[in-house]
Amino acid sequence: MNFERFQNQARLFVIGALDAEEISEFEKARRKFGQKAEDFIAKCYTLSEAFALSLKPAKASDQIKARLMEMVRDRKKA
Amino acid sequence: MRSRKRLPKADEEPETPERPSSGMPELEPGAPTDLELMLGIQAEDPEALAQLYDRYNGIIKALILRVIHNEAEADDLLQEIFMEIWNQAKNFSAQKGKPLGWMVTLARRRAIDGLRKKQAYARAEERLQRETEQQPDAWVHNATEEEIAVSDTRVLIRRVISILPPAQQQAIELAFFRGMSQREIAANTNTPLGTVKTRLELGLKKIYDGLKELRDEL
Repeated sequence: MNFERFQNQARLFVIGALDAEEISEFEKARRKFGQKAEDFIAKCYTLSEAFALSLKPAKASDQIKARLMEMVRDRKKA
Repeated sequence: MRSRKRLPKADEEPETPERPSSGMPELEPGAPTDLELMLGIQAEDPEALAQLYDRYNGIIKALILRVIHNEAEADDLLQEIFMEIWNQAKNFSAQKGKPLGWMVTLARRRAIDGLRKKQAYARAEERLQRETEQQPDAWVHNATEEEIAVSDTRVLIRRVISILPPAQQQAIELAFFRGMSQREIAANTNTPLGTVKTRLELGLKKIYDGLKELRDEL
């Protein structure tokens, strides 16, 4: 796999769209390209961020945060 | 050891009003960055989690809702996801990406897991089928004229996405928001697998390239 092909696969990887049989080949190329590959994958997560940011934010129930923080405090005490 | 900014307590300032329509939260001068908040969570500071929640609960809930289409379940999942952020924060590494990308990946996975577990999965499939037939370019159709007129991050991103042909948008929508494999997309859309692969690769590359100018802001 050349680096251009790896880049295409990396973009699919970060959105979870690689088929199972493609993942092993992708991981092999990832090891081959080393840090260059890791740097590119990190940049590709911008895609995930962008898809989430493309949505209109939704209002959460006011109780969620209170319950969450109570759970966190309980976890810290334990 | 890296020093962190002191995180103000939640009751030091008035409660943040309902999140504005802008996709990317605007930070007050001096407010901790996402990375600083993640470091705070890694240091088990609940206030850091509270602030991260305030900043991103709207975006994360929108993502969950887009996947599971159920308000009450989305609220439950939102709580579970932020609890997981608290529990898994030690696995976050700034070298591997930004906090938001990590959170979105985590949230998306949980939402898709939730969707698959739901007994109503079949109903979602039917709904998807209807949506696919009625509005394959949902990203574009969801934007109102008023939203498009507002020059914020969300609108800029949607403009980038809207440049894609509807078939490429649909393939990405099914992969990202429905968690479908390329084979599942091919089966659901009666499209050859090779065509689905090409649509995804071309579509993602166009969006990636289009986002380059925005990347610093994200």
